Amino acid sequence: MRATDNQGSFLNRISIRRNQVVSMDGNHEQELEDLDLFQKHVADRFSDLLSSTSDDDSVLSIAWLRKLLDAFLCCEAEFKAVLLMGRDPSQISKPPLDRLVPEFLDRVVKALDVCNAAAHGVESVRHYQKLAEIVVAAFEQKPIGDGQVRRAKKALNSLMLTLEDKEGSTHKSAERTWSFGRRGAPSNKDRSTAGNFRSLSWTMSKGWSAAKQIQAMSANLVAPRGGESSGLALPVYIMSTIMVFVMWALVAAIPCQERNGLLTHFPVPRQLGWAQSMIVLQDRIAEEWKKKKEKNKLAGLLEETQRLERLGLSLIEFSDSFQFPGEAERLEEVAAQVSELSEICKKMEEGLVPLQQQIREVFHRVVRSRTEILDVLDQGGKMSAPTM
Amino acid sequence: MEPPEDKRAPLDAAEEVILRWDSTASEEARERMIFESDRQEVDRYLQAVDEIQLSLSSVSLSGDEQQSGNKANSTIQIAMARLEDEFRNILLNHTSPIEPDSFDSTALSADPGSSSRSSIDTPSAELDELDDDHLNEEDLSASSDRSSYRSTSSIREIDLVPSEAVLDLRSIAERMVSAGYLRECIQVYGSVRKLAVDASFRRLGIEKLSIGDVQRLEWEQLETKIRRWIRAAKVCVRVVFASEKKLCEQIFEGIGTAVDDACFMETVKGPAIQLFNFAEAISISRRSPEKLFKILDLHDGLMDLIPDIDVVFESKSSESIRVQAAEILSRLAEAARGILSEFENAVLREPSRVPVPGGTIHPLTRYVMNYISLISDYKQTLNELIVSKPSTGTRYSSDPTTPDMEFAELEGKTPLALHLIWVIVILQFNLEGKSKHYKDLSLAHLFMMNNVHYIVEKVKGSPELREMIGDDYLKKLTGKLRQAATNYLRATWVRVLYSLRDEGLHVSGSFSSGVSKSALRERFKSFNAMFEEVHRTQATWLIPDVQLREELRISISEKLIPAYRSFLGRFRSHIESGKHPENYIKYSVEDLEAAVLDFFEGFPVSQHLRRRSQ
Repeated sequence: MRATDNQGSFLNRISIRRNQVVSMDGNHEQELEDLDLFQKHVADRFSDLLSSTSDDDSVLSIAWLRKLLDAFLCCEAEFKAVLLMGRDPSQISKPPLDRLVPEFLDRVVKALDVCNAAAHGVESVRHYQKLAEIVVAAFEQKPIGDGQVRRAKKALNSLMLTLEDKEGSTHKSAERTWSFGRRGAPSNKDRSTAGNFRSLSWTMSKGWSAAKQIQAMSANLVAPRGGESSGLALPVYIMSTIMVFVMWALVAAIPCQERNGLLTHFPVPRQLGWAQSMIVLQDRIAEEWKKKKEKNKLAGLLEETQRLERLGLSLIEFSDSFQFPGEAERLEEVAAQVSELSEICKKMEEGLVPLQQQIREVFHRVVRSRTEILDVLDQGGKMSAPTM
Repeated sequence: MEPPEDKRAPLDAAEEVILRWDSTASEEARERMIFESDRQEVDRYLQAVDEIQLSLSSVSLSGDEQQSGNKANSTIQIAMARLEDEFRNILLNHTSPIEPDSFDSTALSADPGSSSRSSIDTPSAELDELDDDHLNEEDLSASSDRSSYRSTSSIREIDLVPSEAVLDLRSIAERMVSAGYLRECIQVYGSVRKLAVDASFRRLGIEKLSIGDVQRLEWEQLETKIRRWIRAAKVCVRVVFASEKKLCEQIFEGIGTAVDDACFMETVKGPAIQLFNFAEAISISRRSPEKLFKILDLHDGLMDLIPDIDVVFESKSSESIRVQAAEILSRLAEAARGILSEFENAVLREPSRVPVPGGTIHPLTRYVMNYISLISDYKQTLNELIVSKPSTGTRYSSDPTTPDMEFAELEGKTPLALHLIWVIVILQFNLEGKSKHYKDLSLAHLFMMNNVHYIVEKVKGSPELREMIGDDYLKKLTGKLRQAATNYLRATWVRVLYSLRDEGLHVSGSFSSGVSKSALRERFKSFNAMFEEVHRTQATWLIPDVQLREELRISISEKLIPAYRSFLGRFRSHIESGKHPENYIKYSVEDLEAAVLDFFEGFPVSQHLRRRSQ
């Protein structure tokens, strides 16, 4: 501490260096290398994600989502290192970062709400799973008789109605779970909400819309051009794009509150190398979304949910035409379907809670990074303010 | 070997009972409820179910019995569907949300019908201790012993459903579970109880706010919400959730494996997460100094609840809730630490350069001292949260002049106390910087004197603060204060009194009496001018503290008056013997004494001083 004079001038020299635009400093080269690596890693990770999908199944399975979140965490960690490590804090407060970083942080806060909505949404998916499990339990009781079929049918109807729910609209799904009306019911309101499995506590705040949130997140998401495209503006843009993509994929897969009007197109410039795989994935998911939207079935693009739906419909058909004791061939088919259904339930059982935990992990990580960036921003801001 | 007909007769009767109540088949079945009819009907129905159930276990798959097996299964399904509706109906009939007024201590502890557990035993654990104004030592010590579920004295379970209804529900649940309809049972239970919990939440004023909402609100609005949340959360955990858990146990105890737990989680998982989301949103909000105290309140409120949370959510499946609560607590602690750090930065960097007129107390000084006074009020919590010493030096290394703080001499102080001392150190450092903006050096010293004095008085005025800062450091501060006063005296009065010195006045020579009249006249003129200027200027300066003001004036007088008196005494005759003595001897000693009283009052005085009367 006594050598403050020396220290002062030494540090002054360093900061003057950093301010030079064209610098032959080795430091600068290292930074460029880091940025390149970052881009390459992003490209690699998304290429992996793309190749782990198959053309037949839908992209958004539980397993794939978990991979996606993992990839996000890796990208995020690298991004933070590129942005913060070994840097003069005041760099982040200089243009254009003085605008870009706060925008990024704003997206981060929005992403946190999406994480919460998605975690809630996973509970809805667990609900589908539980209904499906009833169906499995019913049909696994051999021999299949009228009782089992009716039981399964009841659960299947609930399942189909829940899946068909149009978010944000008033729905009559609840009524069906009552098998009959009741005289002397406490109140009509109670009755109508009685069977409502989509209980109030699972929703986000009133008026919150996942679609709008994603839209807000993608506002101002513009690729840096010209002089800005070197330096830190680019990784900020890359990370922002990744974040928006991941949140969007979550919202598309999992039933979150109010997804009407979900964006299906993002303005990611097609020529950007690192973005190629992401763009392909985006296109495929958007395709699936549009297809589903046409059929008015938007409970989620999650592959497991979709398979649940397909099997459910088929089993309803079977149930409707069932007459004891049933044809052997048909029963065999049904047994196979039930077995498949059971498989899916198992996958859901094993995968949904870990998925929720991962979403929570993403939440934590993102909060932590935001805090660190804010700290650095504050420091940098102070350093540039004139002191005595 | 019984003839088939005999075996079937009771079964037929049972079947008939069940089919009679098949709601898909008859209007009448739809309009009435079994469990609202007389007990005989209820018993008959349940017995019928049992008989069919029993028969199922002895059915084989061959030929004719296959048909009857199918029939039995079908009948059971009809019964189960019916029972599900009955179950739902009974629950719905008893779904009144918990009344907030019922959380009054007299209502709960005096009412024999409510909680029958040992939670009543400690009479001193009143419900109004749930109020966040009381730091409940009892709760903290009692709840540290968590060997049994009911040992937390602050948990208050209410019987949500009367015992007859509970028995009915049990009788239904038993049958549903043994018929393999466990899942349906859990579903129907959860769907109804969730509504009840939601209604309670609404009564308690628990809002659903997104993180974005919380970021956008003004902090003042949030403070109100935090206060409300702390109260509501206590009721939620200790009464609402605890009572739901009890209800699950009452209905499902002994039925299936961990069914009570599944039902409990089905009911409260969502609401619990929703409850904590608010606290989490607060813990992530941007840090700024004014948020410290409410965040500490929130931290303390949540910490108070953790033992109860751990008890109510003790099962494996509710681990995520316990984990989340712990995470939020730790984030709040981090936020508090971060804010303190922010605060210290802000004090050091506060950049205002406009000098405070009159050299009085700077608003920064007031703000900082008030702030750390409040901090000392929260010392119990902060002593636990603040574990590292303040970072001096390295963070500010690019700033060539940084305040220094030797920790060696501050041995034995808690990290929090060190931080408070550090704050005072950097406050002074900042003030010194500000003092340099005064053009008049004397004013700079006065400014420092005023402000350090304020600091000293504030510390002395708060026992907690004084105890943490310590008398050693207080002595140091007082020393600085005196130093500033001395500096001021020197800066102003050395000059003035210089004109009253002896040297240079005496001339050796044969004609004169030994004193240079011209030099003397110059001296008097110079003294008058300087004094007038000082008087005019420094009357507008301000020392807010009365005692300090008087002390300084006395110090001035002690230097000024004797010197002038002696000078006058020795040399007035020389002036009076010359022309226009009134031009040179303008002031009497009394005049000066009176003038000194004008100093540091903070407003200007008239320029017309009384002339010395001849």
